[in-house]
Amino acid sequence: MFKNYLKTAWRSIVRNKAFSLINITGLSIGMAASLLVFIVVQYELSYDKFQPNYNRIYRVVTQDKFDKDITYNAGIPVPALKALRAEFPHIQFGALESAYGSQITVPSGKNETGNKFIVETGLFFIEPQLFEVFSYQWLTGSPASLKDPNNVVLDEKTATKYFGSWQEAMGKTVLLDNTVPLKVNGILKNVPANSDLPLSVLVSYETLKQNGGAYNHFETWNTTSSNFNIMALLPANVKMDDINRALLQFSRDQYKPLQSNSIKTNFLQPLSSFHFDRRFASFGDHVTSKSTLLTLSLIGIFIILMACVNFINLATALSVNRSKEVGIRKVLGGNRSQLFGQVMTETAVIVCLSILVSLGIAWMMLPYIKHIASIQEQLSLFTLQTVVMVVSIGIIVTLLAGLYPSFVLSKYNPITALKNKMASAGVRGVSLRRGLVIMQFTISQVLIIATAVAISQMNFISKAELGFNKEGVLILNGKSDSISLSKQTAFKQQLLQIPGVQSVSFNNDAPSSDNLWSTNFGYNHQPDEKFQISLKFTDADYVKTFGLQLIGGRIPVESDTMRELMINETLVKDLGIKDPNEVIGKTIRIGRDQWYPIVGVVKDFKTSSLREDIKPVVITTRKKFYYCTGIKIRTQQLAGTQAAIQKTWEQFYPEYAYSPQFFDENIARFYQQEEQLSLLYKIFAGLAIFISCLGLYGLVSFMAVQKTKEVGIRKVLGASVTSLLQLFSKEFTVLIIVSFFIAVPVAWYMMHSWLNNFAYRIPLSIWFFITAIAGSVVIAWITVGYKAIRAALANPVKALRSE
Amino acid sequence: MIKIRDLEKIYRTEEVETVALNKISIDVKEGEFVAIMGPSGCGKSTLLNILGLLDDPDNGSFLFNNIEVANFNERKRADLRKHNIGFVFQSFNLIDELTVFENVELPLIYTGVKSGDRKKRVEEVLDKMQIMHRRNHYPQQLSGGQQQRVAVARAVVNNPKLILADEPTGNLDSSNGNEVMTLLTDLNEQGTTIIMVTHSEHDARYSHRIIRMLDGQTVLENIMV
Repeated sequence: MFKNYLKTAWRSIVRNKAFSLINITGLSIGMAASLLVFIVVQYELSYDKFQPNYNRIYRVVTQDKFDKDITYNAGIPVPALKALRAEFPHIQFGALESAYGSQITVPSGKNETGNKFIVETGLFFIEPQLFEVFSYQWLTGSPASLKDPNNVVLDEKTATKYFGSWQEAMGKTVLLDNTVPLKVNGILKNVPANSDLPLSVLVSYETLKQNGGAYNHFETWNTTSSNFNIMALLPANVKMDDINRALLQFSRDQYKPLQSNSIKTNFLQPLSSFHFDRRFASFGDHVTSKSTLLTLSLIGIFIILMACVNFINLATALSVNRSKEVGIRKVLGGNRSQLFGQVMTETAVIVCLSILVSLGIAWMMLPYIKHIASIQEQLSLFTLQTVVMVVSIGIIVTLLAGLYPSFVLSKYNPITALKNKMASAGVRGVSLRRGLVIMQFTISQVLIIATAVAISQMNFISKAELGFNKEGVLILNGKSDSISLSKQTAFKQQLLQIPGVQSVSFNNDAPSSDNLWSTNFGYNHQPDEKFQISLKFTDADYVKTFGLQLIGGRIPVESDTMRELMINETLVKDLGIKDPNEVIGKTIRIGRDQWYPIVGVVKDFKTSSLREDIKPVVITTRKKFYYCTGIKIRTQQLAGTQAAIQKTWEQFYPEYAYSPQFFDENIARFYQQEEQLSLLYKIFAGLAIFISCLGLYGLVSFMAVQKTKEVGIRKVLGASVTSLLQLFSKEFTVLIIVSFFIAVPVAWYMMHSWLNNFAYRIPLSIWFFITAIAGSVVIAWITVGYKAIRAALANPVKALRSE
Repeated sequence: MIKIRDLEKIYRTEEVETVALNKISIDVKEGEFVAIMGPSGCGKSTLLNILGLLDDPDNGSFLFNNIEVANFNERKRADLRKHNIGFVFQSFNLIDELTVFENVELPLIYTGVKSGDRKKRVEEVLDKMQIMHRRNHYPQQLSGGQQQRVAVARAVVNNPKLILADEPTGNLDSSNGNEVMTLLTDLNEQGTTIIMVTHSEHDARYSHRIIRMLDGQTVLENIMV
């Protein structure tokens, strides 16, 4: 029996080539899209789940509550480590501190200054106790390898990169930031890529203690750096809430004596939220919001639903043509369940074929996934989870797509079926088909609107007035050790000799960045203000190099120490002052330092991504913090200029790796997730439109056959081609308009929420919605048009005769 | 074999009520060859559908082999039908996606005959209908006469007690038509009861008895000599 089902199913697929193609194309694209979405979502959700104590690991984080706002910090003051261990002896704590942009120099026979490597994913100073919280596999060595100062543990990949093989690396000495010698004392098996703790170079924490100053590691309750993290492993029977309550009291006791202008509280952040909580900086390469994953999953489900809708629509429409076969089978003794089984088998065959095609599509698309998701790792399609997913999709889609057509076909009355009079009986299905078409076009229009809004917002961002010049600025990260600093003036002079270099500025940070150096402050000999300011340490050429605009006063004079200050417009406003010139000559005290005069005010510039408001900024001089060199270059002869800059760098700083970054590329990285989401919307909107059109084309083809007689009679009676075209397009146009009215509130809500992520956003104009409806109608007309014209132009005599 | 009494079938739409069978009573004995004739719309096809258990009457009694089947549900009807009744239609009603062999095999699949037996029985019947050489062809590749022979083969493959033929020669030329009628006569001579609806006086002459219908009632019976 089953063999017979399969045989008929296959022949029916071959016989109805066009419809089978539409179904298989739609389903396979839908399933491939869903499969890829599943792989991405599953990957994002898998972060750090390989940790055996995943559900018991936490980070002790800090909340700073000011009058106006609350800030969050993944870090905690360094002395908290000792205090926490004393207060909570039953909890296992382990500390780590990250250092970005650090350099490891590996001795080399060929290169006098050694091979220099910038540790891109971040270098970590790690306590051996951290390995009691997190579990990693050791190729050689043990947590005790990090007990003593000047020891380093590498992961297998890094050891191979530095020394050719990890076995070679053991016992060798490398140089950290040209000052600290480190002996390779252990090798860790590579940490999986789906971790927010990308350990590759692990330096003993004791080394940090001995070189604290160089890494801004201060044993003081006054400083909270997001680089210093304390991780905790709670005992199995201890609840997070209980510890958080105890931490409230702990915070009161520890921070009260500081008399800060904010209320600091420590609490536990579960490991399961490391990858999704944007309030905290991540050591990993990206944080993903769960709402993005949800949106992605929903879109994946919608796309597959749309393909199922096509299947149901076409299958029920086609069932009219199959009524004779059903009739015969019933006459010959086939009962309802046998017919039901047959149609379900046919659906399953189409679904299986689609699965094969979709696996092919997904396999081809997998290498491109890194463009739409922040996944650098090469993912595999054939994992246990994907196989389970594919089988589940197969079963669900077979049921979704097959149940209704099976039900419709199997209940046909054999006599009416044999007479091919099911057209009239099929009328009942028309309202369902309309409903399904409305659903498809609602999804398409929501996605069209989302795409249009996302593209416009991203355009707005890329063209937004940032208040500084991001083009043609090269940023070189260096070190601020005394030797390096002593060479700065000569280095600058030499750079300015290069014809393509316009200006050079030493500073601690670009105008717009993810870094944040914020502090409390007082204005004009008053007690501390209730908000914090952001600090930037720069030389006098900063304004010129980054194209900032002075709107009052002058630039602070060049100085090795802090002497004069320049502030931004936002700080003027936040101080409640209207005229920027009014602040010139007034004073500011930073932290517990002395009072310094304000000498200039700069026009507001975007201090971080456009998601956030502009922060109040104080710009001042302090040579000690000039780690960065900003070089404004002419865009002509770029390659030559860059080569000359590199040569100059290597001449002055042979012991440091040359790792230039273009400022505009750094800015673009702020919006990587938004760009990816925008691209995803584009892809999915395209897919949704394509699948809807496939379905529409199928339905209209069917309608053309069904309406042959009607069109024939109308033509005989004198109907024009235009009026016949209207006959076909009218219904679909009405359905699209209905779906538009459903799509508008959904899309408005969705995109309104998305735009709320941005402090600087476009208005949700009516034109987005008009574009969606106009686009849908035009696309639908084009889809319907070809078939409709053919039907309208057909010879009426032939049409009537065939009836 | 068949005994129907005061059988009624009324088709109702929202506004119109059409009486298709009006208290009709007919007896058909085992081994008989009966032709039903009458103008279009007289109810002969409705009668045939009810006799074939494809439709149920609104009123009246229908005894099939002395069992009252008028009130049988769909499942029971399908069961009785597949074991006892074969159908031959004017438009052949072969399944286009199946080959000649597979079309003839279908009733055996539904009655649960094992694969080996099926093959043997289908080959026997195809041989008997002289269509064996076309066993792997699809219906579209056959002439009308050949298609109807396949349909007859399919009707008899289960060795039914009764064959219902609805204008079996309606779509055939006279030579093919005669061939099909000869086949039916042969079957009847071997003991199968045949009830045939036809417009053709020529075909009707092959039967033992002609029942003439008008407006849902029998108006005349001719015994053929």
